[in-house]
Amino acid sequence: MTSSLLFSIATLSYLVAMVLYISYLAFRKKGIGTTATIVTVFGFLVQTAALLLRWRESYQMDIGRVPLSNLYESLVFFTWSTVMIYLIVEFKYKTKAFGAFVIPVAFLALAFINVAGISSDITPLVPALKSNWLFYHVLISFLGYAAFGVAFAISMVYLLIDMEERGSATNLYAGLAAIVVLASIGYFMASLGGRMKTAFWMGIGVLILAWFIYLIVAGARNKHQVFLFWSFCVTLAVSLLVAMGIDFIYLVSFQHLAEGESFKKHIFEGTFLSASPAISIISWLVVLAFFSLVWSKGLGLKNLLKPYIPAQNLLDDVTYRMIAIGWPLLTAGIITGAVWANSAWGTYWSWDPKETWSLITWFIYAIYLHSRYVRGWKGTQMAVISSVGFLAVIFTYLGVNLVLSGLHSYGGMN
Amino acid sequence: MIWEDLLENKKGFVEIIAEKFWKFFSSVKLAVILLIILAIVSIIGTIIQQNESPDKYLREYSQATVQLFEFLGFFDMYHTWWFVLLVFLLTANLTVCTLDRFPHTWKIITAPLKPIDDNTLKALPFRKEIILQGDMDKAMERSANALKNHGYSYIESKDAAGVQLLTQKGVYNRFGVYITHVSILLIFIGALIGSFFGFKAFLNLPEGVASKVVYLRNEPMWDQIMDSLGIAKSPVIHDPQEGVPAMPLGYYVRCDNFDVDYYMSPAGMPTGMPSEYHSTLSIFNLDGQKILDKRIRVNDPLTYQGVTFYQASYGTVPDARGKVILNIRKKSDTQSPGETVYVELGGSVFVPSIDRTVKVLEFAPYGMRNPATGEVQVFKTDNEEYINPAVELEIYNGKKALYQTTLLKVDSGRPNMPEDYIISFGGYWGTRFTGLQVAKDPGVWVVYIGFIMLCVGPPIAFFGSHKKLWVRIQSRGSETVILVAGSANRNRIGFERVFNKVVAEISV
Repeated sequence: MTSSLLFSIATLSYLVAMVLYISYLAFRKKGIGTTATIVTVFGFLVQTAALLLRWRESYQMDIGRVPLSNLYESLVFFTWSTVMIYLIVEFKYKTKAFGAFVIPVAFLALAFINVAGISSDITPLVPALKSNWLFYHVLISFLGYAAFGVAFAISMVYLLIDMEERGSATNLYAGLAAIVVLASIGYFMASLGGRMKTAFWMGIGVLILAWFIYLIVAGARNKHQVFLFWSFCVTLAVSLLVAMGIDFIYLVSFQHLAEGESFKKHIFEGTFLSASPAISIISWLVVLAFFSLVWSKGLGLKNLLKPYIPAQNLLDDVTYRMIAIGWPLLTAGIITGAVWANSAWGTYWSWDPKETWSLITWFIYAIYLHSRYVRGWKGTQMAVISSVGFLAVIFTYLGVNLVLSGLHSYGGMN
Repeated sequence: MIWEDLLENKKGFVEIIAEKFWKFFSSVKLAVILLIILAIVSIIGTIIQQNESPDKYLREYSQATVQLFEFLGFFDMYHTWWFVLLVFLLTANLTVCTLDRFPHTWKIITAPLKPIDDNTLKALPFRKEIILQGDMDKAMERSANALKNHGYSYIESKDAAGVQLLTQKGVYNRFGVYITHVSILLIFIGALIGSFFGFKAFLNLPEGVASKVVYLRNEPMWDQIMDSLGIAKSPVIHDPQEGVPAMPLGYYVRCDNFDVDYYMSPAGMPTGMPSEYHSTLSIFNLDGQKILDKRIRVNDPLTYQGVTFYQASYGTVPDARGKVILNIRKKSDTQSPGETVYVELGGSVFVPSIDRTVKVLEFAPYGMRNPATGEVQVFKTDNEEYINPAVELEIYNGKKALYQTTLLKVDSGRPNMPEDYIISFGGYWGTRFTGLQVAKDPGVWVVYIGFIMLCVGPPIAFFGSHKKLWVRIQSRGSETVILVAGSANRNRIGFERVFNKVVAEISV
């Protein structure tokens, strides 16, 4: 019995649980719900055993380290904590409605590990990572990320339920046109060289930020825009996962990676950045089609789900609770990282991209908490902030390693 | 409004301005706006690499862009005046908000519990009336027990209408938000102390070399200010030849030894993947007396007189002639530490205990043993890593060459010599330097206290709640009317559960 076998069993269990939770929403049979919970608990226990076994295996290999030290292990641990927090919510609030939204995230993350070909080897630690702080830092940070992940899933449900009508099709066309125009500008500027690419990313960053701020400030009044935002988040999540999956298949079957070569150098080569313009155009057309599908069928999905989803203020409350758990954990995660950096380099804060992005995430959730406590905001805007916060979490966790460079480079995709 | 107040002579000008300032900084809206601005501008510094060389920027951006970014301070963004100003504004905002709200909280915390009247009752979120048969004493006993069962110690208050039991729990949880806010102020103050009185420096020390200065990355601000005001001379030495300002330590630090350990393959050979970098550092006072030494490694620095030396990097000293460290002992003397000698490349040494002369022919950073024959082969490598160092020796009896052998460092202590002694290769010394990160930060303890409070504060603020319960017992004919009422400032759902239990226990 090896840990990787157990991990596969856990992944399969989550797949089964995902199907069960979704059918529970559709058919509302008590038996299905109970089975879903049992399968999830089983998967969770198997995954716990797998983590412990992997820890032991590292000792048998004379490396002896905590299974929280590279991208593979941190993703596994992220799904483990997400499932744990989900189960706590399920038992505490006695509702199985969130399962259909949270368990897919856990399953997709595990599936992503497999399709993205992230190495699962137990490799020895580089000297900088040999510290007891590693364990606390990573453990606490990922528990926090998991709580934010659950908050995000629930916020997405909230925003879907919150929608009354999807608004005029102009919104959709504007969204589609924005994607088409920005993508073309992006390709054009990238073809002009590195500095133009940076300029493009900065420009697009400013646009997205402006839109987020507009949504946070005026979201409650302009729900059509919020629905567009919702469609955008769903499209983004799904296309990232699918594109990375295609990348993996493409790289494995046609473009054998050199020994030790990083996956991130070839990211999206199977789709958006393909050498053949036809394939990248097709990829974008698929994204556009999916975006309009999500946008036009969202209302149908809402009507389908509406009877089974808890009341909106419960969703709002659970989101708040998840953030109230996640934010202190994120704080402690940043602090343990700072103390560790001080013992390794003599600086507790050096503004490296990962640190800065974790601080940005911290700011966003601080904004959430303050606007809720002091300004008394509730509902739509809160769900938008929570979603934007999780996008920042994802960027802190993956984007910084994939796009930017810095101290945390050992968290890369190798 | 200002003019009206001024004209009517209600308030002085300074007073009005102070009031406006206070009002501006005590707004949470300002806090949220500042947080949004900080979150957004922080992104800039993660996209543009910070503190790179001008050449690198010119390669990446056009000349005009470089000039624009330089003007805006984007290459060292987190230390520009406008970013520091934003952080200062946030701190001022946090301070004023905290001071503005604290008196109110303090009043709530210190206020004695008052008996409830019908007016205050209406404002309470949890209320329940219970009617019991029997006299008041029985009702009193039940109520008292119910409260005690849930850990509430009460005070009694009697009035004409009846008795009231008053109780509260978790009043100090109201401090949670203040602990959080003060912790952030402490971190900020600690960071300021660090930049005023501390420094960050580096020191590249070759093996066997001592230094009484370290080279500054940033000079302590306090010294700079005092020096420019002419109050006190800065201890920092600006030597135009060195280029980098140097900070005297007041003692010598010497690198006795630097080495890299590698993870071993199953066959017992180094894999080339480093497992540890370590240096042995010694501290000497200015008279040359040794005070202490320590083997430092990454994550385990040496601190002396407030200055900490961190293992950061290493490198090769150009054109350095190193010495080979050899240890020789008789095969029979298993307990003896043997004799250690340092021999230059090409040099030789006579070892009296074995009556042989040992000549060092060559050093190689990478050696490999043929598993079949046991013979060691050496390789010249281009990189400067000494992954599996080896040395070629020739052994003489007087003038007569006896044999040549190649030793691997990993074979140290193994009895594979043809004669009755063991020669171990201890390392190639004096060709590499250890790169030390040096820091002095007197503010770090303030920051750490802030860290601890920041870990404690938010959980108290979010999950600790201030709960109040009143039980009013009044007699009405043969019945007793009990009114249970309560409030909680957080986690109402949890409080409701306790409240319902208390009610149930009284009603039974």
